[in-house]
Amino acid sequence: MTKTTTGAMGTQARVFEPSPAQPAPVTSTGAYAWLRENLFSGWLNSLVTIGVVALLMTLLPPLFNWLFFDANLSGSTQADCTGDGACWVFIKVWLQPLLYGSYPTESLWRVNLSLVLLFGTLASPFWLPKHLRNKVDIAMLLALPFIAIIILDGRLLGLDYVATDYWGGFALNLFLAAASIILGMPLGFLWALGRRSQMPMARSICVILIEFFRGTPVLALFFMGSVMLPLFFPEGTNVDKLLRVWIVLTLFMAGYMAEVYRGGFAAIPQGQYEAADALGLSFWQTTLLVILPQVIKVSMPNILATAVMLFKNTTFLMIIGIFEVLSTAQNALTNSNWLGGFSTEAYLFVAVVYWVCCFSMSSVAAHIERKLDTSHRS
Amino acid sequence: MTNASSSTKGQGSAPAFYNNPHIRAVFYQILLVAALGYFLLTIIGNTLANMEARGIKTGFDFLTTTAGFDILMSLIPYDASYTYLDTFYVGLLNTVLVSAIGIVLATIVGFIMGVAYFSPNWLIRKASVVYVETFRNIPLLLQVFFWYFAVLAALPNARNSLNLGDAFFLNIRGLYLPKPLEEPGAMVVYVAMAVAVVGTWFFVRYAKKKQDLEGTQLPTFRISLAILLGLPILATLVMGVPFHLEYPELKGFNFRGGITIIPELMALAIALTIYTGAFIAEAVRAGIQSVPKGQTEAARSIGLKDSKIMKLIIVPQAMRVIVPLLNSEYQSLVKNSTLATAIGYPDLFTVFVGTSLNQTGQAIEIVFMTIAVYFAVNMTISFCMNWFNRRVALVERK
Repeated sequence: MTKTTTGAMGTQARVFEPSPAQPAPVTSTGAYAWLRENLFSGWLNSLVTIGVVALLMTLLPPLFNWLFFDANLSGSTQADCTGDGACWVFIKVWLQPLLYGSYPTESLWRVNLSLVLLFGTLASPFWLPKHLRNKVDIAMLLALPFIAIIILDGRLLGLDYVATDYWGGFALNLFLAAASIILGMPLGFLWALGRRSQMPMARSICVILIEFFRGTPVLALFFMGSVMLPLFFPEGTNVDKLLRVWIVLTLFMAGYMAEVYRGGFAAIPQGQYEAADALGLSFWQTTLLVILPQVIKVSMPNILATAVMLFKNTTFLMIIGIFEVLSTAQNALTNSNWLGGFSTEAYLFVAVVYWVCCFSMSSVAAHIERKLDTSHRS
Repeated sequence: MTNASSSTKGQGSAPAFYNNPHIRAVFYQILLVAALGYFLLTIIGNTLANMEARGIKTGFDFLTTTAGFDILMSLIPYDASYTYLDTFYVGLLNTVLVSAIGIVLATIVGFIMGVAYFSPNWLIRKASVVYVETFRNIPLLLQVFFWYFAVLAALPNARNSLNLGDAFFLNIRGLYLPKPLEEPGAMVVYVAMAVAVVGTWFFVRYAKKKQDLEGTQLPTFRISLAILLGLPILATLVMGVPFHLEYPELKGFNFRGGITIIPELMALAIALTIYTGAFIAEAVRAGIQSVPKGQTEAARSIGLKDSKIMKLIIVPQAMRVIVPLLNSEYQSLVKNSTLATAIGYPDLFTVFVGTSLNQTGQAIEIVFMTIAVYFAVNMTISFCMNWFNRRVALVERK
């Protein structure tokens, strides 16, 4: 394949011309190769593949039949569930209590408005103009729980008063989690700062607080909130049940966040402090403008993981008699018109709702982790 | 005046006392302690006033009074005539039982599913991902309810039990297992077990020493296994099998004899295992991924077999990441076992914070005793895992 050309001087130079590449063998490209590599790379592997496929073939069709094809969707009473499949009528009938608890139907727009505010605020970094973000965002976030309370309660705005006994459903899980995360994060930062402080008294107080709220089962904390906290207030004061829960959840979150921040602090190089000192920044300027943003950035995956944990833990509130989503589901299951044993449907519904929320948060955390990971592994 | 003050500054005199960081620190701390003291005094004052108003007694005298209620399941002798202190022990043992079962099973499930993530088989890899992402993102209480109210409640009644070889029965009242009963001579078997464990320990030490001195490797694992299994089996046979099994039998509407595992315990243990297993799988995956690929390549280039690479290179380094994560997962498993109270498994929380607190009303003593127990259990776990980490996982160059 080498051409011979005759140069000007009569010398012969040989130019190398590669022959066109052969197509890769069928066995190493495309679907065939993928199958061979991933499913049938050896006799053991092939056996496993066949076994798993056989298992799926036997399990999935009945499951799909139950979930979709034989399921009942129309109607509004238990008698309408005639097929062998799932009774989604149950979920349809109980959907509003599951999502909103016993909040009055004509005032549901207030719950929805609060939810829109919540998600709008969480998404504000994407729609706020850049120069406003740092100034407005934090203030908006911190004000959000109180604004939501004012809207939901309604007395200050001249709307119908809805007592906290009527708040419930999945919306309550969302609000309680959001409100305690929003307040727990700055509080936890304060505790983490205290733990790093040179002052022995401040340090030991913060260590005790952090370890107490991390080491105690959250259920015990809730019990303390409902059994012991009322004893701490002056005689005759009646503190709202949800407020007590909110306090407990916030402190719980703060304890876990403090530990997360501790990991973040460890990742900040000493040079950052020295540079800030060299610029003449004060302690709080250094902490809030130089260190805090970096700590938050480094510990973002763990912050989100902790937030997911707290959000899942709000279901524990049913044990102390708060009408959150799981407790509403249990109530519906013992309703005398719906005693047909729909527990699988109810739990599946709550599980899916929760899973969607938690999985999206975990995915964001994993995404951030990948983005921040600059090591060269695997 | 302004001139004078600026000139003194210029001469570099000491800064004002209120700008001295040491004095400030002392001042802030005094302020902090004063605030805290005031806060605590108010709380204690309020609490005492409230308790007096509600007629709640204080002190630990209640522990010696008769509890007067029955407990569903107890590992030690207990009935309604025992004291509140006994209810504490019963609950504590039940908590330890479900936590121990959960920790062992979750570790097994977690390691299998974590390693499955690196399987050459695509389906197995995906199964691992689906398992982790599903169960990690569903609240534990929901899973407990699912197993208890949806799965175990759908089991048949005692007459139609699921039956495995007339020895194992599963029905709505629980799982029934045959119970080994000792006959005279069983002691010899126990002694053989103890001897086997001690013997294996000495053998492993000897093998390691031999390898350090001479470089020859003994098949340590196989010989240890042979000692551990062989000696007790030999002793059993020599003594003419000094055990017999007591099989559960259907009498009337229920089974008698054998070991009964109540559905509450099953549901809680299954839920804790599957939930925590997902987190452990994630930890195992992270640990294995944290070992740089160069380690495997370097090991291959010096001619180690794949199995040796896993055992000598990957696992010790991965364990550094895994063990601290395991530590916190085990601790959260113990704390999560309090969910027993939602389905009525008689753990410490259900028995002591639930029933005993309701009957005595002594919230502060009971809650603090309970919290102290969870702290103690978690500190024990933490201590063991740190010891394990130092001994096994942290293989540092000396």
